[in-house]
Amino acid sequence: MGLLDKLSGWLGLKKKEVNVLCLGLDNSGKTTIINQLKPANAQAQDIVPTIGFNIEKFKNSSLSFTVFDMSGQSRYRNLWEHYYKESHAIIFVIDSGDKLRMVVAKEELDTLLSHEDIRGRKMPVLFYANKMDLRDAVSSVKVSQMLCLENIRDKPWHICASNAIRGEGLQEGLDWLQEQIAQ
Amino acid sequence: MSESSGNGGKWLDAHYDPVAGLFTFSPCVDLADLSGDGESRLVVGDLGSGSTGMKLKVFRGTALLSESTLLDLPAGLVAFFMDLHEPRIPAVAVASGPCVYVYKNLRPYFKFTLPGLEVNSLEQDVWQQAREGQIDPLTLKEMLESIRKKADVPLSMRSLRFLSLETDDMDDFVQLHKQQPIRRQTVITCIGTLKKSTADDDGVSCLVIGTESSDVYVLDPEAFVILSKMSLPAAPTMMDVTGQFDVEFRITVACRDGNIYVLRRELDKPKYCIKLSSHPVGLVRVGKNVMVGCTDESLQGFTQKGKKLWRTVLAAPITTMAAMDLPTRGFQAVLVGLANCEVQLYRDKNLLSTIKTPDVVTSICFGRYGREDGTLIMTTKGGGLMVKILKRTAVFDDRDGAPGPPLAQSVRLNVPKKTKLYVDQTLRERENGLAMHRAFQMDLSRMRLTAAKAYVKALESSLAPVSSSISEPLKMNAVVQGLGPSFKLTLNVQNTAACRPATNLAISFLYDEGLYRMRNPYMRIPLLVPGLVYPVETSVECTSDKGISDIIKVFVLHEGRSCPLLTAHINMPVSEGEMLN
Repeated sequence: MGLLDKLSGWLGLKKKEVNVLCLGLDNSGKTTIINQLKPANAQAQDIVPTIGFNIEKFKNSSLSFTVFDMSGQSRYRNLWEHYYKESHAIIFVIDSGDKLRMVVAKEELDTLLSHEDIRGRKMPVLFYANKMDLRDAVSSVKVSQMLCLENIRDKPWHICASNAIRGEGLQEGLDWLQEQIAQ
Repeated sequence: MSESSGNGGKWLDAHYDPVAGLFTFSPCVDLADLSGDGESRLVVGDLGSGSTGMKLKVFRGTALLSESTLLDLPAGLVAFFMDLHEPRIPAVAVASGPCVYVYKNLRPYFKFTLPGLEVNSLEQDVWQQAREGQIDPLTLKEMLESIRKKADVPLSMRSLRFLSLETDDMDDFVQLHKQQPIRRQTVITCIGTLKKSTADDDGVSCLVIGTESSDVYVLDPEAFVILSKMSLPAAPTMMDVTGQFDVEFRITVACRDGNIYVLRRELDKPKYCIKLSSHPVGLVRVGKNVMVGCTDESLQGFTQKGKKLWRTVLAAPITTMAAMDLPTRGFQAVLVGLANCEVQLYRDKNLLSTIKTPDVVTSICFGRYGREDGTLIMTTKGGGLMVKILKRTAVFDDRDGAPGPPLAQSVRLNVPKKTKLYVDQTLRERENGLAMHRAFQMDLSRMRLTAAKAYVKALESSLAPVSSSISEPLKMNAVVQGLGPSFKLTLNVQNTAACRPATNLAISFLYDEGLYRMRNPYMRIPLLVPGLVYPVETSVECTSDKGISDIIKVFVLHEGRSCPLLTAHINMPVSEGEMLN
């Protein structure tokens, strides 16, 4: 079995499995982003607030993603840390239109990055500055300033502006993530 | 980070705009989901400059969403559900002057005016005469003055205004107003909401209005008719309402006479009265208890029946108070804004945390703002708006900071059971108490006698190191230095007389010659000036190597007298040098 697995891996037949954790505050658009990344025929029409978490699987050209779409509501945020250990990458979604709760997003991010299961690991973190279509949305540069992303030195990170409803900017981030995991 | 701003690490600084231009106080601030999208908005009745610029402002996040002009100064503002229509969007009621303005979807919807009060009939007659031209303004003024002094029913606003006018303006005023009928109108001092029949969060609520005429009205939310009227002994200033109108309710009202009254259903007079030592400035209900902040810088807790539970003293005068209720965590406390730029959080009498603010806080509102449940909104004296969000991980530990008996005092000691011996002894003591006491007293007297005898003997033979003789009062102490075999002996001699010097004194030593050798066992002491300490030094050598020690006696003698003035016994230490050799 082991030999066969390796062989298929060399030949590129079997895709590498990657666990990705999708985090962010409630109403930031995590489920919408994951929904957009799924194949068109599997996409859901209505997005409702996630309770607990959802597991979604989809495939890319070379990788097979298993995404843990966590609920962002404050009462479920303590579930996040139970999935840090098994995950290989993190997608952190920010509502660019919610300036008031940027401090809450920063607080959750700081807690996340200082967690013992995350701290020492060199796992890629992808930030989506979501809801760019809103009139009062701040730019992705401003978001990275407000979250003090320049202080993250031990992990590769990338921020991209997105509009999850129309799917804009999502693929760019996913390409970066794929590149990082392949390394 | 937030720790440095004095939040105790429990609050996130979400927003601070020091120049938001928001001048208001706690009754004029409320949070409500005004659009039905699950995001709460901040509704503020802005007092403006106090005479102009009164506005109803609505904030969403950090931005001002809308503002509309108010006609008069707002006395209070509440958001409430007035109907059962979907989507569930609350209306906003603004109390100002004698009216309640109700806004739906931020548009004026209804205006309720309080019923007029009874008018003094004498006053009415006088104005009637003025209208018919029977009396001139000066006579009118005189008559109104006399009515004002005597009558039970106060004068109307118009008459009071007339009395305050200069003589020149009176004529015009009478001409202008004499045709209108006289009305006496009261004003609203405070407003609250009371659920109609269900305790649901989005249940239909009645408005509860306190007026300057010392009445409390409950209004029907749909028809705006008065459902109930209750009267108080004084004008209400603050109130807290709980319960449901159709079931049972309780209105706690702080009044201008410095008392707090509790109104109940089906009673038009207060059921309970809490008499305070000083005037209340804040009234908050936490659970079933009422917390009152007073002008004497104290915070007091009462049960809902008016029993005083506790009182705690604050560091500065109170500016405002608000309840902090987090139902998801089952946490209830009270936030107290102080004049020394602090906001303190109290659970009962225990101070849980302190927030330092850059300016004095004038209004506090805690609740769901935007999508965040634990949001604290404060406005400052300088018109600033401050938003803080409670951290998800924040824990308030309920340590009792108040001074009192320590915890260890209330721990029960493990006292062993009474033994038979103990019981026997107790019985014996009880039966022979008198004899035991006598025996004790006799022994005590004997001991005192023995001690006194020994003392007299010591004085007679000058054995004491202090001489109290009138001619030569002296004091001496001796110090032995060294490990041995040679010791240094220092005798500090002091003349304790007031002014007479002591002369012709000498020191002599008495010791075992087989043990010690002394350089000069007899020394003359120079003249002793009163008060000074004279050290007299000599050296002693121990000649024995057996490791034993003895007493050296020191005598202070007066020339020509055989009896020593004083005696000191020096316990010599064992010579260690000899032993080591």
